Amino acid sequence: MAQNINPHYASSSNPSKQNEDTIKLKDNHAVSKRLQKELMELMRCADKGISAFPESENLFKWIGTINGPLDTVYAGHKYKLALEFPNSYPYAPPLVKFITPCFHPNVDTCGLICLDILKDKWTALYDVRTVLLSIQSLLAEPNTQSPLNQQASCLWANQGEYKKYLDEFYNKHKDL
Amino acid sequence: MSSTEPSQNKTWELSLYELHRTPQEVITDATEIAVSPRSLHSELMCPICLDMLKKTMTTKECLHRFCSDCIITALRSGNKECPTCRKKLVSKRSLRPDPNFDLLISKIYPSRDEYEAHQERVLAKINMSHSQASLVNSITEGIKLQSQNRPQRSRKNQEESSANSTSNVNGNNTDPPQNGGTTSITNNREGSSSTGNPTPSGQSTSNPASVRSTPSPVPSNLSSVSKNTSTTKRAKSVLTSERSEESESSDGRTEGENSMDTEGEGEVLNPNEIELVFKPHPTEMMGDNQLMRALRDSSVRYLKTTANASVDHLSKYLAMRLTLDLDTELPEAYRLLNFCIYVAPTPGQFVPLAGAQTLRQINDKYWKVNKPLEMYYSWKKT
Repeated sequence: MAQNINPHYASSSNPSKQNEDTIKLKDNHAVSKRLQKELMELMRCADKGISAFPESENLFKWIGTINGPLDTVYAGHKYKLALEFPNSYPYAPPLVKFITPCFHPNVDTCGLICLDILKDKWTALYDVRTVLLSIQSLLAEPNTQSPLNQQASCLWANQGEYKKYLDEFYNKHKDL
Repeated sequence: MSSTEPSQNKTWELSLYELHRTPQEVITDATEIAVSPRSLHSELMCPICLDMLKKTMTTKECLHRFCSDCIITALRSGNKECPTCRKKLVSKRSLRPDPNFDLLISKIYPSRDEYEAHQERVLAKINMSHSQASLVNSITEGIKLQSQNRPQRSRKNQEESSANSTSNVNGNNTDPPQNGGTTSITNNREGSSSTGNPTPSGQSTSNPASVRSTPSPVPSNLSSVSKNTSTTKRAKSVLTSERSEESESSDGRTEGENSMDTEGEGEVLNPNEIELVFKPHPTEMMGDNQLMRALRDSSVRYLKTTANASVDHLSKYLAMRLTLDLDTELPEAYRLLNFCIYVAPTPGQFVPLAGAQTLRQINDKYWKVNKPLEMYYSWKKT
């Protein structure tokens, strides 16, 4: 049977390839193991206002939801996000995008988010929970200095107007 | 512990706690301090892999602990700072091994394997909902991995290798690993049957299976492949079983029988798993037919799998497994046969089983004795 083979022989016949694959397999296993642990932890103690679950059987794609933070213009809104984990996770950040269109200075029309911890400030200690919490607080405190959405950025100063436009925008797009 | 003595041109910024702390009294009497498993776990856990620390490395300045592999990968793959507190970590030299901590862990968890097995079980439970689909997944993945090894082994036995079998192997290997999770059951079935049925050109030149040593039932591997109901764990489980083979493979042919005997004693059977023995149907599979001739000693199969696997799963598994094992020995007509599966509640009585029945149902209905379920197969004559 195949499993009787001594791995030593197997690798000696094609060392580089075999090695590479073993590493790939092992890494991949480590990634899914970590994602499973995160999922378990999220299910065990759910934070208020955020949730996340794998999209399907593929553990590398999750759907997250964020409730708009209370006492902000986003209160009462609910946003869906897509999280995609690279094979290098958690050493590299997940790709996070808004699915529900989000009117916000640091979110572009495609749902891409400008957030330092999803880019150069990423560390392996961040996880799904902290990413969603960070995005939640980004909603409350946008960085209007480097906006992806100029309109939102300009409007932000006037919270009354912003709220009016935001609610209209949200109600028009939330079911998309 | 960190020294509070400032070295020559270096000053320590101490927190209020650090400035005021006093040494803890050493406990010399029989005082016991209870620590909750959860807080203990957070102490012994690597914050990167969220697993128990393995070959602990401690950052020299900020004293944060990580697995050696984890922190080295982290340093290689990005910012040169402590993942926990962003303190600058120039290189591996900013870390020191922490063998005392490893000792502490091994004292608390003398059997790390046991701990890991427990972890896997907990994780598997989470994925229970997926178990039906992932059973098929894990089986096909296991088969794929085995078939990757197959051409290489025959090359070991027989020096003349062929470019075709190599490309076949590479084709399998380069499959993006995460596909296993996404592809549906049907996709997987197709995938693995194509591995089982190499293209005619590959077939003619690649490994003649006859050089293989007699296939023997190897329950250990199978069980470890199918035991993990989660789709994502199979890679590891297969690796694990390969590692254990390395140590076993010295005793060659007898190994199958050995591991067969010890199977079940060494490890505790998960209540959600069922062990079973597959035998050819004594009358229907008798006589001189090519399949039986090709099967020879490998006709009896031992496996352990989740109790909610159905008879359909088993017959598909069997068909794929036999096809893969026998490879070129088996005439085209016998590839991916349909199998009829029977259970024998009393000797000589064979009850055919419906495809949708699960092993749990069969076991409860027909199998009262405390030994592995015995099932029989014969092929469907179409």
